[in-house]
Amino acid sequence: MDKLVGAIWKLLRSNWLRILLGCASLAVFIAVWWLYSAYLHAEWPFSGRTPSSTAEYLPNPLQVLSAFFDSFAHRDPVSHLFMTSHIYASMKRIFFGFVLAFALAVPVGLLMGRSRNAEAFGKPIVEIFRPIPPLAWVPIFLIALKLFWGPIAIVFLGIFFPILLNVTFGAKSVDPVLLDAAKTLGAKKSHQFFKVVLPFTLPYLMTGVKVGLGIGWMCIVAAEMLGAVGGGVGYYIYNMAFQPAYFDRMYAGMLVIGLLSVLTTGVAGVIERRLYRWMGMK
Amino acid sequence: MDKKVLIAIVIVAVIVVGVVAAAFVFRQSPEGGIVQYITVAPMNMKASLTNGDVDAYIAWEPYVSDSVVGGVGEVLMWSSEIMPNHPCCVVAVRNDFANGPNGQDLTRRFVKAHVEATEWMLDALGHKDGANYSLLVDMAVQFTTRNATVVEAAFEHVVYGYSMGSSFKSSLEEFTEMYIDSNLTTDDKLSSRGYSSIENFVDSYVNTSYLDSLSSVAPSDAILNPSSPIELGFLAGDLHQMAQVVAQNKAANDGSKSMFEKYGLKVENATGAPFASGGYEMTAFAAGNVDIGYLGAPPAILQHLNSGVGITIISQANSEGSGLVVKVGSGIDSLRDLENKTVATPGESSIQFLLLKIALEREGMSLEIRT
Repeated sequence: MDKLVGAIWKLLRSNWLRILLGCASLAVFIAVWWLYSAYLHAEWPFSGRTPSSTAEYLPNPLQVLSAFFDSFAHRDPVSHLFMTSHIYASMKRIFFGFVLAFALAVPVGLLMGRSRNAEAFGKPIVEIFRPIPPLAWVPIFLIALKLFWGPIAIVFLGIFFPILLNVTFGAKSVDPVLLDAAKTLGAKKSHQFFKVVLPFTLPYLMTGVKVGLGIGWMCIVAAEMLGAVGGGVGYYIYNMAFQPAYFDRMYAGMLVIGLLSVLTTGVAGVIERRLYRWMGMK
Repeated sequence: MDKKVLIAIVIVAVIVVGVVAAAFVFRQSPEGGIVQYITVAPMNMKASLTNGDVDAYIAWEPYVSDSVVGGVGEVLMWSSEIMPNHPCCVVAVRNDFANGPNGQDLTRRFVKAHVEATEWMLDALGHKDGANYSLLVDMAVQFTTRNATVVEAAFEHVVYGYSMGSSFKSSLEEFTEMYIDSNLTTDDKLSSRGYSSIENFVDSYVNTSYLDSLSSVAPSDAILNPSSPIELGFLAGDLHQMAQVVAQNKAANDGSKSMFEKYGLKVENATGAPFASGGYEMTAFAAGNVDIGYLGAPPAILQHLNSGVGITIISQANSEGSGLVVKVGSGIDSLRDLENKTVATPGESSIQFLLLKIALEREGMSLEIRT
């Protein structure tokens, strides 16, 4: 316990300026939000004006926060589920989407990065499909892949391309001097790959993973917009906005996604550091 | 020591088993059964029924007849069997438009054209061998992008009408009450909008004054709003909202002018129209993009109460016209057979969801989201 407190204290002391700046940016954001909401609602300090017709669409931070806590404490009015069920459903989709994307993008990316022929073969398809918004696939995936895999496939698309591109780029940019040195020292093909190419690509891969997870969360509303089984945070956001128009709950759902994304990216960061240490890279 | 550990393990195991068993027992509803639902867009429901994602669905026409004519589904129950004469789609006007320059006059003229179009449809549907009937079917085929067989089957189950009598109002009151029961809106919201009761809300939300004063509306040779057309909102391919298609069609009037034009109105499709759902249309109302629109009564009620979208219901568009469809050969012959099956609905705030809930509750069954 003492060790933990000590570690936290040390972290705070050495990073106090950056932590302060981080808090300041959040504080500024919340203050601007609150002021603008007060302006629309004609509340203090804007008590003089008449409320705007769009005021209902921007509740103040406190209302959103209370909707946020309420979503964990009570069942929501649309699907009658707790937020924890929604989070579970969304996490499941992100997890499966991520595992599939990772398992496919890493080998394909390495291949495309190391072999010019493979790149020539794969690039046209990647470049054509990459910019298509996952949203465009929603109806097709839902019917063709059905209710379980359909939403996962949409998340998969969001995660797949960032990992693929980063891995390809990383594998491609391996310093030839390093490879030559390994060859001179008598490294076999497999050793060249595992001792040079893979460690060199790892930082790129992890960047791809972090970017991909973020985009995966961006796709969650699209994935759960139509026919989501068992709810989901995206389903929650979409339905709160378009069915009963509970906008405080909608913003609370957005907050949940933000926090979940911070969590998944954080986990990826921890794994990244562990990997570097394990492979003796730092 | 070992013994203590053993006893502890046994106690924990008993507690865990007990909790799981209790949870299981409480999940089984004592009376009736549970029907599971998921949300699917009506245009995808036929596909979901075909690929086995759902065992049944409830939707509006033409998405009911689409499956029936296609041989995929059969109708277990029409919405008229659940709630005879239930209201469905309505015409609503944005308050800022109605209270704006010429707003009252333009709205009254719009309602006049809507009523005339509805009567034209009723007449056409009453004479199946007439030219107007085939014209109506042609228009509906174009509007819904379904074939003539589907459209003709669908017409059998939609009741077109415009008047808003006491049964219309009491149905809206019933829907509002159900929404309050399920927390989709609250008594607080009702009173914060200045309504003292549900009756008071429906009374002031439904404005019959336009319908009552139609006799004063005369055709106009000139277009009254040439530079600022009425922005019309409606849902994509919704057969319930055929009146606006008819009123925009020149052939349905005298061939040279549409019914809207006859009453001096320039009408154009609003930005974003046709909308995918009533929820979207309400958002467009709120943004000021729609002046007058056709939509389901439920989103009109909910978003008005919850986010204060300022509109008023000025006419009915249709009643009935929805159906509960099950897969052909599924062996589902009654609502009871739906126990533990999955039904697709257009969403918890839709009229179809409410009707399904009403029907199941009569059987002592409940509707829960599939997890």
